[in-house]
Amino acid sequence: MARVEPGMESMLDMYFFETGSLLEQLDEILIRTESANAFAEEDINEVFRIMHTIKGSSAMMGFDNLQKLAHKGEDLFFIIREKPELVKDARFVYELIFNVSDLYKAEIEIIQNSPEDFEPTDFSDTITKLEDAAKRLKAMESGEAVDAGAAEAGSLPPESGASGTMTVRVMFESGCGMENLRAFLLLNKMKDDAEIIACLPKDVETNASTAAFIIENGFVIVFKAIEGKNEDILKIIEDAVNVESYEVIDTAQPKAEEKPEQSAPKPDEKPDTAKPDKEQPEPKKAGAQKQSLISVNLSKLDHLHDIVGEIITTESMVLSSPDLEGLKLESFSKAARQLRKLTDELQDTVMSIRMVPLAGAFQKMGRVVRDMKVKLNKDAELVLEGEDTEVDKSIVDMLGDPLMHLVRNCMDHGIETSADERISLGKPAKACVKLSARNSSGEVIITVSDDGGGIDTEKVLAKAEKSGLLTRPADEYSEKEILNMILLPGFSTNEKVTEYSGRGVGMDVVKSNIEQIGGTLNVESERHKGTSFIIKIPLTLAIIDGMKLEVGATVFTIPITSVKESLMANKDQLLTDTAGNEMIMIRGVCYPIIRLHKRFGIENAVTDLAEGALLTVDAGGKDVCLFADRLIGEQPVVVKPFPRYLTRYNIKQLGLSGCTVLGDGSISLIIDANNILSD
Amino acid sequence: MPEQTEKDTFDELLDLRMKAQLEQRDRIDPIEAKVLTFRIDGQTYAVEIDCVDEIIELPAVTAVPAVPEYVMGVINVRSRVVPVMSVRKRFGKEEIPYTDRTCVLIITVAGMTVGLIADSVSDVVSIRRSCISATPDIQNVNADKFIKYIAEPESGRCLVLDAERLIGADDVTV
Repeated sequence: MARVEPGMESMLDMYFFETGSLLEQLDEILIRTESANAFAEEDINEVFRIMHTIKGSSAMMGFDNLQKLAHKGEDLFFIIREKPELVKDARFVYELIFNVSDLYKAEIEIIQNSPEDFEPTDFSDTITKLEDAAKRLKAMESGEAVDAGAAEAGSLPPESGASGTMTVRVMFESGCGMENLRAFLLLNKMKDDAEIIACLPKDVETNASTAAFIIENGFVIVFKAIEGKNEDILKIIEDAVNVESYEVIDTAQPKAEEKPEQSAPKPDEKPDTAKPDKEQPEPKKAGAQKQSLISVNLSKLDHLHDIVGEIITTESMVLSSPDLEGLKLESFSKAARQLRKLTDELQDTVMSIRMVPLAGAFQKMGRVVRDMKVKLNKDAELVLEGEDTEVDKSIVDMLGDPLMHLVRNCMDHGIETSADERISLGKPAKACVKLSARNSSGEVIITVSDDGGGIDTEKVLAKAEKSGLLTRPADEYSEKEILNMILLPGFSTNEKVTEYSGRGVGMDVVKSNIEQIGGTLNVESERHKGTSFIIKIPLTLAIIDGMKLEVGATVFTIPITSVKESLMANKDQLLTDTAGNEMIMIRGVCYPIIRLHKRFGIENAVTDLAEGALLTVDAGGKDVCLFADRLIGEQPVVVKPFPRYLTRYNIKQLGLSGCTVLGDGSISLIIDANNILSD
Repeated sequence: MPEQTEKDTFDELLDLRMKAQLEQRDRIDPIEAKVLTFRIDGQTYAVEIDCVDEIIELPAVTAVPAVPEYVMGVINVRSRVVPVMSVRKRFGKEEIPYTDRTCVLIITVAGMTVGLIADSVSDVVSIRRSCISATPDIQNVNADKFIKYIAEPESGRCLVLDAERLIGADDVTV
């Protein structure tokens, strides 16, 4: 049993986050290069860098098994870097690296679940495989990789002894492993306070063979403190991890009159060790440039969001205070306007912080499609559309699993088993799985579709009958109802259970997962054309432009995107059918009228249709007219879900999607036009 | 450091003594719960203090359709949307007009935050084990299923409510 080293816990989250995103990046590069069957130089460098960073951070966290695994992966790419064309004939490399990436993800999950007490997995099988692969590649390669680092082993770097600098030889703890990386970390640590003028060996970051040199001769650094004394920097060296001892070899004091700029070396003399790198951007003037991205705990953002909400509410309370009534306050109103402008901006910024593009969740599917392509021997490509659509961070996290399941379903059940079958139907041999996202009236609509065989409704119906899922005679079901049967628990038409799907659990789980975040899942399918799964999720926390309506004493808000037009009714436009349903004729088209006061049971509302206001809205593909007392106006509002206590009641089916806090602090309910017709 | 007078020393001794006495009392008759008492229709009720987030004045309530009669609607508690329940109506009593003493107890039970409208809030009371008596097993008493136990501390009898059942979904309509 192992546990995360004490003192490292605080770094753990960062490690998971960083390694996770690196692995995703790795997958993405591999998928891209595999389909192109060519490694561009920058791709190899990128993979190399990823492997390297993972190796370094794993070693730092004390995960030896992960470090070794990455180390072997790095070795493999070291060979590939020398001769990129080798990979063309060595597809096994991809399989192997994908495998490594999976092992990593699995191991990280294990550690994440119980950082206090976990069993490190033994990767020796894979490591042997990686070594074999490296040997095979080496055999294919004619020349030998040149060991560059050790060749330079010499005395001190020429830069030592320059004015104002200090030269130090650092010895690392024996057996700490990866001495070159430790040296690199040390340099990074010093960078904030000291200018690194030179070091020996030079390329510690990229050349693993320098480790041996460091073990033997120590790591020599020539540096100069940016502020303060060089001696202060020694403290940093002393405090650094794994440093056993250090000795000052040479100290050159600055000449009294000399300005620091004159003694400082030109930028191009900077050592290779400090090559700019995504993870550790090299500050040109230490401290002046830092990373432009930071990761923040989500709960802090939630808190910030709450506070901003309060500020805005309080602001309206102050500005519309009854105490101010009748007063002529010129400079006050001027300042108030300015304040409102600023708080608006503040709100927008806070909102935008929480919004992340769907691209991350979408790109993960590339890997799913790629794996299934190989396993099922189907040729398919993944097309992404609108992946820059932004959704609240928590929703993106929740979408991962449902999306993966739907994509697997498309690959497994949707796409025809053989290319011939597709060609005979006049379709291209290569199938297409499409993921698309778009904004629509306060919702995000995500579609997962394939151009496969479509859903055989007869088969579905027969299967449902057999499973006892029907509650009415079979011929009474509409096509749409039959399609949605596949979302019922315990339904699967695939006779064979495959590794990926077909267990009959799944679609209903997907559905309930999506419903959990307040979304809906629908199926559309056309025989021989393909199937689409349509996910609609509300943008919780999203700001929508709302139209405020008054019904009785209650103020409702309706997303302006679902409003088509607003009008006052003329008596001769109105008609009533035999069943007593009211309708209105607008430009020759007849729309049913829904009285909001009836729908929501509100008393003291205007009942004369000609007195109130009418709004034509899109109610899920059908236009209807809503009747309210009057329209108040437009306002951007923050959508909040109903409190949990109320979810047990049927409010959503009634056509209300959530609530929002208005400027005066009161709460307004948001009308969901899509559900206004349902019972 | 000022010199300690005799009086100070005496007071200190007294304090210690009282503290010891209290401690002994706690041992013999431990405090079972601290409750917040509030009045509805002349009767004192209480909820355990652990679940009470805050007490606020009744703000404007927005009515919500399709909910039981006792759910008055939603209120805005510092940008949070919180449903409010009239405890009066929940107990099947007549609603009375709100006064300036009417207040809302914001409680959180089982992850759900709900506001309870009470006629007035009285005090925080420590309930000792000795003053708890179990609820009489009377059927058909409407409020009975909400009551956890009856307590009789020095400050007067109160019915301690089971907050979970109070906001529970298994509501048999009155």
